[in-house]
Amino acid sequence: MLTHDINLFPSRRDEKWKYSDLRSSLRHLSDGIEDENKPNFLLPDGLTLEEVDCEFSSVKNISSALAENYCNKAWKINVPESFKSDQSLIISNLNSGHSRIIININTGGCLSLVEYYESQSNSFINTNIIINIMDKGELDRVIFHDDTQETVRISSAIINSESNTKITQNAISFGSALSRIETLLTASGENLNATINGAYLLSENRHCDMTSNIELLKPNCHIRQLVKGVVKDKSNGVFQGKFHVHRPAQHTDAEMRHDALMLSDRSKIRSKPELEIYADDVACAHGNTIGQLDEDVLFYLRQRSIPRAEAEAMLTEAFVSDVFYSLKDDQLQENILTKIRGRL
Amino acid sequence: MLKINNLSANVDNGNKQIINNLSLAVPAGEVHAIMGPNGAGKSTLSYVLTGKPGYEVTSGDVLLSGESLLDFSPEERAAKGIFLSFQYPIEIPGVPTMTFLKTALNAQRRANGLDEMGAPEFLKKSRALATELKIKPEMLKRPLNVGFSGGEKKRMEIFQMMMLEPNFILMDETDSGLDVDALRLVAEGVNKLRDPKRGILIITHYQRLLDYIVPDKVHVLSAGRIAASGDAEFAKKLEVEGYDAYA
Repeated sequence: MLTHDINLFPSRRDEKWKYSDLRSSLRHLSDGIEDENKPNFLLPDGLTLEEVDCEFSSVKNISSALAENYCNKAWKINVPESFKSDQSLIISNLNSGHSRIIININTGGCLSLVEYYESQSNSFINTNIIINIMDKGELDRVIFHDDTQETVRISSAIINSESNTKITQNAISFGSALSRIETLLTASGENLNATINGAYLLSENRHCDMTSNIELLKPNCHIRQLVKGVVKDKSNGVFQGKFHVHRPAQHTDAEMRHDALMLSDRSKIRSKPELEIYADDVACAHGNTIGQLDEDVLFYLRQRSIPRAEAEAMLTEAFVSDVFYSLKDDQLQENILTKIRGRL
Repeated sequence: MLKINNLSANVDNGNKQIINNLSLAVPAGEVHAIMGPNGAGKSTLSYVLTGKPGYEVTSGDVLLSGESLLDFSPEERAAKGIFLSFQYPIEIPGVPTMTFLKTALNAQRRANGLDEMGAPEFLKKSRALATELKIKPEMLKRPLNVGFSGGEKKRMEIFQMMMLEPNFILMDETDSGLDVDALRLVAEGVNKLRDPKRGILIITHYQRLLDYIVPDKVHVLSAGRIAASGDAEFAKKLEVEGYDAYA
C-alpha cells in the first residue's frame, strides 16, 4: 500500500519520468492524491456500465499502481462481438483523484471512444484505462487535455491487441502544470494496424508529456506515429516514443515522427525516440525535428496585409492540423481544429 | 505616387551595401521598368520597399502618395496598397489558397477601416477572376502554391494582385519561368490593372515582358542606383547592347 508520501512518486531520477518531474509538481499540490474519482460515461445504445473490483493489472506503470492503491472500484464496459455504432462512448468529469476504467472490445467489435480531460479543480488527477481488443476488433480513440494551468494530470492507457485489430488514436493537449498522456500498447497478435497521433500546443508555464511504448510481439504489424508540438512562452514539451520489436515480429512496418515548433527562446522541447529491434526483416524508422517558423514565409503573408501574429497563427495551425486528418469524424475534427485556433 | 529619394540600404547586418543613393519617381498612371544585370540590387530594392526584415535603410526615404513608408511594418505597407509580385512565390503547405486569400483581403480591408467582405461576394469575385486567368477551381482549394508549376505560381500572384487591387504594384521578375502563352496571360492581367490612379514598377532582366506591358519609362539599375533612364525604345536598345556601358 502506497501512502501519501511524496518521495514515493517518480522524479527526474527515474528514467521514464526524467523530463516530467511528477514528485516536484506534487510538492505544490496535494488535492486529489488520495481520492477516488467517479467519471461520467455517455454510453452508445447497446453498451452498459458495470462496477467491478479494482484488480491488479499485468502491465504496470505508476498510473495503474496509484489506481490500484486508491480505487475500490473500477468501471467496466463490455463491447459485444461485432458491435458497431455511430455513437461514441464519451468519458468526462475526470476532475480529481484516481479512476480505473476497463474496456473489453470483443471479437469484431468497433468502439469510438472520446475522453475529455477538462479540469477546473487544480488538483491531481490520474486516469488509468485498460483496453483489451480481441480478434478483428477496432478502437478509435480521441483524447482531449484542456486543464487549468495548476492541474497535475496523468492519463494512461494500457492497451492489449489480439490479431487483425485496428487502432486509431488522436490526442490533443494544451498542457498544465504537468500533463502526461501515456500509451502502453502491446500487440500480442499479428496484423495490428495502428495510428498513434498527437499534438500539443503549450503556452505560459505549461508542460505536456506524450509518452508511448509499443511492444510488438507478432509479425505483420503496421504502426504509424505522428506527434507534433508547438511551444510558446516558457512552456515545456516532452515526447518519448518507443517501438520494441520482439524477435518473432517479422515484417513489422513502423514509423515514428515527432516534429516541434518553438515559438519562443525560453520554451523547451525534450524528445526521446527509441527503437529496439530484435527481428531481422522489418522496416522501422524514426524522425525528429525541431524548428521555428520560416521568416520568408511569414514575410510573404505579411506582404499580403496579414499581421504578423495572424500569420504566425495561420502557419502554426497548418503545422499541427495534419495530425488530425486521420480522424473519421468530421465534426470531431472541426471541434479539435476550433480548439486549436482558440489557443493560437 | 511612389517617390524614392536618395535611398541607401544594407543587408546582412550592414556588411553589404546594395542600394546606393537611389532616386526614382513613378507617378500615378505610369508603368516603369527597372532593368539591370544580375546582382545590381533589383530584388533588394523590392524587399527594401516592402519592408522585408534583414534589409536596413541607412539613409533616404520612400514615399507612397506623399507618406513615408519606412516606419511601417510589411503588413502596414501592404495595407497602404503596395503589392509585391514575388520572383519566387512561397509554397505554404496546410494553408488552402482560398483561406489565405480571404484572410489577406479582409486584413487589408480591416486596416483601411472597411467591413470584411462576406463569403458570397468573395466567392463571386474570386471565381470571375480565376476564370479570366484560366485558374482551375481545384487549384484554389489546394494549399497555396504547393505542387504548382512555375507558370501557375506566377498566375497565382497576378490573381492575388487582381483580388487585392493595390495602389502600387511591384513586379519582381514576373516573366522568369513563363512560356509565351503564360506570359501573355500574365501581361493581360497586368494591363487590366493599368489605371490613372495606380503606379506599376516592373523589375526584369529581359525586354520580353515589355513587349506585352509597354512601359512609360525604362531605368537601368547598376551598382545599387539608377544609371540611365529612357522610354520604351530604350529597353530594346539595352536588349541589343547589354548593360556593360552602365557598369
